[in-house]
Amino acid sequence: MSALFSLPVTFAAPWVLLALAALPVLWWLLRVTPPPPRRESFPAIRLLAGLASDEETAARTPWWLLALRILAAALIILGLAQPVLNAGNGIPGTGPVLLVIDDGWAAASEWPRVTEAANSVLAQLSRSGRNAALFLTAPAAEPGASFASPLVPASELRSRLAGLTPKPWPVDRSAAAEALRAWKGKVSAAVYFSDGLDTPNVRVFAEALAGLGPVVEIRPDPPKARVLLPPADEKGQLVVRVGQVPGTDTLPAQVLAETADGRSLAEVSAVFSQGGGEARAVLPLPPELRNTLSELVLKSAASAGGHWLLDERWRRRPVGLLAGDLAGAEAPLLGELYYVHRALAPYAELREGTLESLLEQPLSVLVLTDRVVNPGAEAERLDKWLQAGGVLIRFAGPRSAAHPDSFLPVALLQGDRALGGALSWSKPAHMAPFPANSPFAGLSVPEEVLVNRQVLADPAPDIAQHVWASLTDGTPLVTFAARGAGKIVLFHVTANADWSNLPLSGLFVDMLRRLVALSAGIPAAQGNTMLAPAQTLDGFGQLGAPPPTATALAANAFGRTPVSPQHPPGLYGPENNRQALNLGGSISALAASAPVPGARIEPLGRVLPERALAPELIAAAVIVLALDFFVSLGLRGLLRLRRVATLAALLAVCSFSAHAAEGAADKYPSLGIHLAYVITGDPQIDQISRMGLQGLSEYVNQRTAAELAEPVAVAPAQDDLSFYPLLYWPISTEAPPLSARALAALNDYMARGGIILIDTRGGGSGEDFNPGANAVLVSIGKVLNIPPLVPLTTDHVLARAFYLLREFPGRYTGSPVWVQRDQDRANDSVSPVIIGANDWAAAWAVDSEGRNVYAVIPGGARQRLLAYRFGVNLVMYALTGNYKGDQVHIPAILERLGQ
Amino acid sequence: MTSFQAARRAEALAATFPPLLVAAQRVAATVLQGVHGRRRPGSGDAFWQFRPFVQGDLTSRIDWRQSAKSDRAYVREREWAAAQTVFLWRDASASMRWHSPLAQEEKRTRAELLLLALAALLHRGGERVQLLGVARPRQVSAAGSLEWLAELLAEGVAGEDNVLLSAPLPRHARVVLIGDFLAPLEEIKTVLTRLAGIPVTGHVLQVLDPAEMLLPYEGRVQFVGLEREGEMLVSRAEHLREAYQRRLRAQIDGLAELCAAAQMTVSVHRTSEPPQAALLGLYMALAGQ
Repeated sequence: MSALFSLPVTFAAPWVLLALAALPVLWWLLRVTPPPPRRESFPAIRLLAGLASDEETAARTPWWLLALRILAAALIILGLAQPVLNAGNGIPGTGPVLLVIDDGWAAASEWPRVTEAANSVLAQLSRSGRNAALFLTAPAAEPGASFASPLVPASELRSRLAGLTPKPWPVDRSAAAEALRAWKGKVSAAVYFSDGLDTPNVRVFAEALAGLGPVVEIRPDPPKARVLLPPADEKGQLVVRVGQVPGTDTLPAQVLAETADGRSLAEVSAVFSQGGGEARAVLPLPPELRNTLSELVLKSAASAGGHWLLDERWRRRPVGLLAGDLAGAEAPLLGELYYVHRALAPYAELREGTLESLLEQPLSVLVLTDRVVNPGAEAERLDKWLQAGGVLIRFAGPRSAAHPDSFLPVALLQGDRALGGALSWSKPAHMAPFPANSPFAGLSVPEEVLVNRQVLADPAPDIAQHVWASLTDGTPLVTFAARGAGKIVLFHVTANADWSNLPLSGLFVDMLRRLVALSAGIPAAQGNTMLAPAQTLDGFGQLGAPPPTATALAANAFGRTPVSPQHPPGLYGPENNRQALNLGGSISALAASAPVPGARIEPLGRVLPERALAPELIAAAVIVLALDFFVSLGLRGLLRLRRVATLAALLAVCSFSAHAAEGAADKYPSLGIHLAYVITGDPQIDQISRMGLQGLSEYVNQRTAAELAEPVAVAPAQDDLSFYPLLYWPISTEAPPLSARALAALNDYMARGGIILIDTRGGGSGEDFNPGANAVLVSIGKVLNIPPLVPLTTDHVLARAFYLLREFPGRYTGSPVWVQRDQDRANDSVSPVIIGANDWAAAWAVDSEGRNVYAVIPGGARQRLLAYRFGVNLVMYALTGNYKGDQVHIPAILERLGQ
Repeated sequence: MTSFQAARRAEALAATFPPLLVAAQRVAATVLQGVHGRRRPGSGDAFWQFRPFVQGDLTSRIDWRQSAKSDRAYVREREWAAAQTVFLWRDASASMRWHSPLAQEEKRTRAELLLLALAALLHRGGERVQLLGVARPRQVSAAGSLEWLAELLAEGVAGEDNVLLSAPLPRHARVVLIGDFLAPLEEIKTVLTRLAGIPVTGHVLQVLDPAEMLLPYEGRVQFVGLEREGEMLVSRAEHLREAYQRRLRAQIDGLAELCAAAQMTVSVHRTSEPPQAALLGLYMALAGQ
């Protein structure tokens, strides 16, 4: 057991090394033994008899061949001595050793390295025949299990170690310290695999550990654990928060938003500032998609802390509707609630009833249309609800204008203002663009929205802080005020078309959706209902059956209860009433723990795993012997050098020609049919384009006679576009504007028969996914020679080029696709440009293993299939032009021929 | 030997012997045939006389051109080329079944090729041929029986030196001996003395492989004899070359002396050389006696 030349190598069978002393003898033996003679049959041997030559000395073996053979022998001897690399990291003492392992949630991300390091320590202990015991600092899932295992020979602990998994709850160092003090075992040293995170009582534990004897602490440096903190709800957007030990890592954290069936709808990356302990990222999902999410997943760390389960609180936003005039509220086109109902019904759960009955149930949003709140009990109830975080949306009207109550965001002037009409000089007013601090910011204001009548706010000095929307003359149109945790929002017009045509516009729907998204979610269960654990996370963040220790938790205790073996992170409650208990909910911030005083610190990454070198040495010996064999053959003239050389040359030529063939496709795009996409500069979009066209090419190659080669990325300003029949152009809002050269190239491409598919990647079911793309498209359309367009119908050749299609979905569906007007006979009626918003490339995209990467929305295999079929039609359209269009006229042509 | 094995051998024989025969005939065709006139009518190529047609002659033998000159029918007779039996022997020992990388074929193959070619030439001259040292010795005269000879050679296993010591040979017969004659000169002398005592004359052709002439080996070589002479390890074969060549020269010269004493001519043939030269030499040697 001695290190050789201070290398971290020890030998399990050191006595074999004595054989090295025999090497000089071997040298002498090899030197005097001549090489074996050649056998030659010879008829005239009689004449040779008696001619024996005078020199009978052996032919010399060349010295280097001798050295080769000695080397082989030395390698075999070294291999049989069973050397072990990186052994002997030096565990103090000679007696038994206690292995202390932090197996809380924070160890999960480093778990393979922890077990590897622990294994190598155990291997070292078992070589020197020492005993060991295992001590786990996280409370066990089995009730009554002790922290420590009995002292056994170290080799027997290895199977126990292999069965260990990290726990989904944090370590309990105070309980561990007590257990450590109470432990009866006698050890001469302790090895502590720390997770490096600070917990209460870490000091006490460290002292208890140091009391056992010398300590070696192996800890990740820096601690790599990351945790998903409770997401924030800001301006109706879900904001993902990721925590880490401050200053450890500036690598951005990738967070996936996943639905219950495992589709990931979005991926955001949260960037840590230098030395920062928390990173935030906005999840860019429209509310109705956000409501289908079931969990957030930290991509890099498979631990319970890397999963945040989203329960009903993040989804359910019940909206109560109450009209001032209950009788005519739902009258078609005229009723007060008619437009509100239609605007919100697709996105939220709507309830109607009296104010009392509505507030009895949990409610996120209450819409009052020209309804005056009566003072007294009614006002008190409403105020209580508002203080608790409700959002009250009110619409003005004749009644509320005459009787202002206390639930208004701003003071109102008596009466209302009429604009336009027979007796007025003024004209109906337009809406101004929304201010940046408004939740409506980013919505575009249609020209046709006109306000005829409104109630007027009292122009107080702080009025500007309360305005979310105003008219072009500056009069407030939507005002708000906070009350407690809740908000009051007032539309200064009616909810029907009496005072303005705002409820008739699409803007009305968007405004109401954003207001609903502002509200807080409502947990399904209330009070102290006991919710039994349904599914819990294990240490690596996988949902599974709850452990036997898990017990029910009161509904109102969620958020206050820390994660423990009794309450592991997971989903609690019956099927339609789930509440989530998350590990990150009981963590405010992560901090690094102080090392154990007096301990020798070794970073986890630098504890190299122990490795047996014998197989490598023996393999090297075999290789050397094989080399010796060939050299010997060569020396005896038995090796056909020419043949070997020919073979080698042939191999070299083959590999070279293969290389040459590979390079040809890049250099000569005309050698195959390539689909091409325009480089946007955004690496993610470009990757989607490439994967999408790759997936489409494979689909087309399987289904049709077309043989498409690898897709190609092109920059219109630099590359020659004339080789590509189809150009896919995803619109990115971040892309720089087109250069004059690129513009000329694209115009030329379209004029000479090329087809460009422009995709704004955010329409129909994917509305809002790519905000601003339409504006970019408009600016492109101003400079690009785009012909007059019509919506794509089933009569168009593109809808019949291969499959008969009635809809043309991509990742999204529902938005129209625009093609050139058919009357245009230029270019054989083949549309040079196809414009849509369905994000086709994402639907076609496949990864290297042939799996579809992006979930289609709203979803289903049918939508994916139709997306591919549209792609096939598109390729066929690009390759065959109006061929199928001509087929349509066959009956007419036949008829004409017949006459 | 079972009939099955015999059939196998016949099959192998059929596979090997046509090329041998063709080669023999091709070689024989290059040598001009000599004339052995016997000054009397008989089978031959040269015209001898016209004689009147008698009962019993084949009508096809009538010379119509001569007959047309008179009333009688004449038959053309040719001069009889008298056949002498030539006894042919080739060494069939194991040492003949060998060739070095320097030569294309074994010494025995070359010996049998020359023997067959000589037989073909002799047949063409009307001579008779008898093989010594074969299982079924028999006089053969017809030209078409070359296949028969080849078959006899192929199955011949009784080719040992003592055949020449015991074979019944007529006096003044002609023998042709083809072999490597690497045996000790005393043994050769015994045979030649017996032949000279009968007496017979003839020719000795020593067929040697070029490797036997040159000893082209280098380095450490273990030589193995073909006739159970044992093995011999030589560390530097190239150092033995000169001494070996001296010994070989002595062997060749000794053989020549013995042959001269026995009234026989001798020549040496290397298997790396074309067989035509050796055949011509053989033929001239026979014609000269």
